[in-house]
Amino acid sequence: MAAVRGWVVAGLVGCLALALAYLPPRGARGSRSSDDGFFIGQSPSGTPARQRAQALADEWRTADGSLDLLTARRRLQLLAQTAIASGRSLVVVSESAGVAAATPPVADSAARLAWQQLGLKETKVSVALIIQRMSVSSRGDRPVPEEQTAAYLAPDSTDRTTCIAVVSVGRWWTRIFTGDLRGRVPFDALVQTLKAGLGPCAFYAAYGTPGKSVRGWLVTRGWDLALTLDAGPRGRYYSSVIEMADPRPRWYWDAVYALPPTAVACLASRPDGCRAAVLAGASDNPAISSPDIMRVDRRWGRIPRLIEGQRFLGDVARAVGRDRFLTFWTSAQPVDTALAAALKRPVGEWTADWERAFVPPIRLGPTPPLGGMAIALAIAALALAIVAGSASRRQVR
Amino acid sequence: MSRVLGLAFAAVLVASPLRGQDSLMLRLRNRADSLLSTWREAQRLADVADSLERVRATAGSDTIAVGALRIIANPSPLPLREAAARAWPAIDSLYGSAAEDLVQHPYIIRAVDPDSGVRRAVLHVGVELPWDLDMRATTRILLTTVTPPRFDIGLGDWLGATLRPTLRPGDEQTAVYLQLVTVPSEAVRGCFVGDIARCRDVLQLGDSTGLVGRWYVTPAEREALVSGVFGDYFARGGTAPSLQKCRQHDDDACTALLQSLPPGSLPRLLATAARLSLVREALRAGGRNAYSRLVAHPEASIDTRLASAATMDLDSLVARWRNGVLAARPVSLALPWWAGVAAMGWTAFFGFCALRSSRWRL
Repeated sequence: MAAVRGWVVAGLVGCLALALAYLPPRGARGSRSSDDGFFIGQSPSGTPARQRAQALADEWRTADGSLDLLTARRRLQLLAQTAIASGRSLVVVSESAGVAAATPPVADSAARLAWQQLGLKETKVSVALIIQRMSVSSRGDRPVPEEQTAAYLAPDSTDRTTCIAVVSVGRWWTRIFTGDLRGRVPFDALVQTLKAGLGPCAFYAAYGTPGKSVRGWLVTRGWDLALTLDAGPRGRYYSSVIEMADPRPRWYWDAVYALPPTAVACLASRPDGCRAAVLAGASDNPAISSPDIMRVDRRWGRIPRLIEGQRFLGDVARAVGRDRFLTFWTSAQPVDTALAAALKRPVGEWTADWERAFVPPIRLGPTPPLGGMAIALAIAALALAIVAGSASRRQVR
Repeated sequence: MSRVLGLAFAAVLVASPLRGQDSLMLRLRNRADSLLSTWREAQRLADVADSLERVRATAGSDTIAVGALRIIANPSPLPLREAAARAWPAIDSLYGSAAEDLVQHPYIIRAVDPDSGVRRAVLHVGVELPWDLDMRATTRILLTTVTPPRFDIGLGDWLGATLRPTLRPGDEQTAVYLQLVTVPSEAVRGCFVGDIARCRDVLQLGDSTGLVGRWYVTPAEREALVSGVFGDYFARGGTAPSLQKCRQHDDDACTALLQSLPPGSLPRLLATAARLSLVREALRAGGRNAYSRLVAHPEASIDTRLASAATMDLDSLVARWRNGVLAARPVSLALPWWAGVAAMGWTAFFGFCALRSSRWRL
């Protein structure tokens, strides 16, 4: 009997090892199965020299954008002070190819409505919103500006009361502003775009300058959890294909596995994963550069650290109320402690519940293919039948 | 004395951030200038590198010339010459005299092992094709990847596709015919029964103001569009009450919701095939230089360009297109005389078998 038990244990351990080695995660591509019979050609990639030129262009955009922000702060200082004196905390200007241009009235109205809809009135920190239109023709002697990006200059020792937001509105809105695209201006969509464009500056306006730990945490993460103070009702706008599809198609799982592991774990409603995804970047001794310039990629389809993360802190603020959020925002405590205190719940659990409102929890873990499982069961049944047959014919003398 | 010192100290304190910012801006400006000049140099180098890569990628390759088509490909069993010979007449008949420009846009093809397990070199130039493609598939690839000469964004936006040749233009027209008779729209129905103005509307030719009313003519259509296609979009936020009104047959609410949509969001009544077939008709009517005329003035309106390409007024062109589409009506299924007899015979045979069988045991 002991010998049989040993064989059974060895068999089970062997099966487990084989399963761990060979069973694919849910939705993952087999090594060859799906590609068999279907040729996928490569997309041409740039030569190393071209890639270097593109990397230099990115660096230049960062340096030039920072310079633009600092220049804009000087240029707009007087304008901002005049606005504050007249009881307004939002200044809207427009520029194209680095040159100040008249702000289209529709953009000005939309920005003011966005400000109002965010619940902002006269605030301690005022905001200068620069709407950057795409220039119609590229000059060729400098890198082409990127669409759907934004840059922010947080208040610092030079100017403690102004936050500057530069929002690149892209070709489509530029064509609308210049009257190139005829038809009715989709005003609601413009309001929404500018509302999102105010980004971290809206948080500065609503809650002031964050405490050192919170600010360091957000700076380290590129403010990805506080890009929208009010993103509107849930389910109206999607930031990822994962929110739009069900888990059946293979590309859904490709999109899931392109996320960082903690974001995948959070999609599976695992509190530890959610906690790690939210608190990544929180450290006891954060480094904040001066001037504090943030560059944000707003392109649809970028890979986030957390699905719908851009509205996380906005939703936290709405859920806990202004006073509790303000306590968290200005807290000197470590971020995890301050956030848990504001939420009155462990961060991971709250985030898992919050994430569930956008994406139904996914199931993770290995999944044997249906065909493989059927074959394995058939072989097992055959083996059992043979053993049973042999045993029944065995004669014990 | 101490007061003066205090004031001086305060002035230094106030000025120091500004001085710091000045030096920072200077540093940033220097860095941006330095990066810009490095980038310009890198761009020039990248242009040279790309050009060399192009030469390297095509070194040892064969150049196949059929008409104005140029195909540069590595030696392989791919039937490129035969496919090019088959594709060229279709390309030449569509682009006419402008097809000569294709010499400037050669296909660069790298034929590779179809086994996806085989490691391939990184691709910088051209396209990869498995070398086991047959002539039909290779022809299709040549036709679907040809670079339309001087094709502009305005034309592409209106068409909703890139204008490329097809080996079966009749199928396209048949597809349009089926749409004309099946799309549940008064405007499309009007076009089908011969109202050329309606045809112009559904093809989005001419003035685009009041498109909602001209595309979705009846209140029922507008309500169906709002409730069906845009129901989810309008269901939340400030538009939800209007959606409710629209669902309660309030046409003003439906129209207002549709008018609030961004330009270009209204679903087109006919699929891309309709516009493609209209352009093909214009090119057929206009002769060999029709395509050159079509792309000559990208700033002009589409209707002007089409009329210029076809060398006829727009209404005549649209009427001609409509006649072509009606002529492409799918052939109805005609049963031969013996099919009915055969059906009756088989029915009788099975009936006889059933009568002869023994009773079923239940």
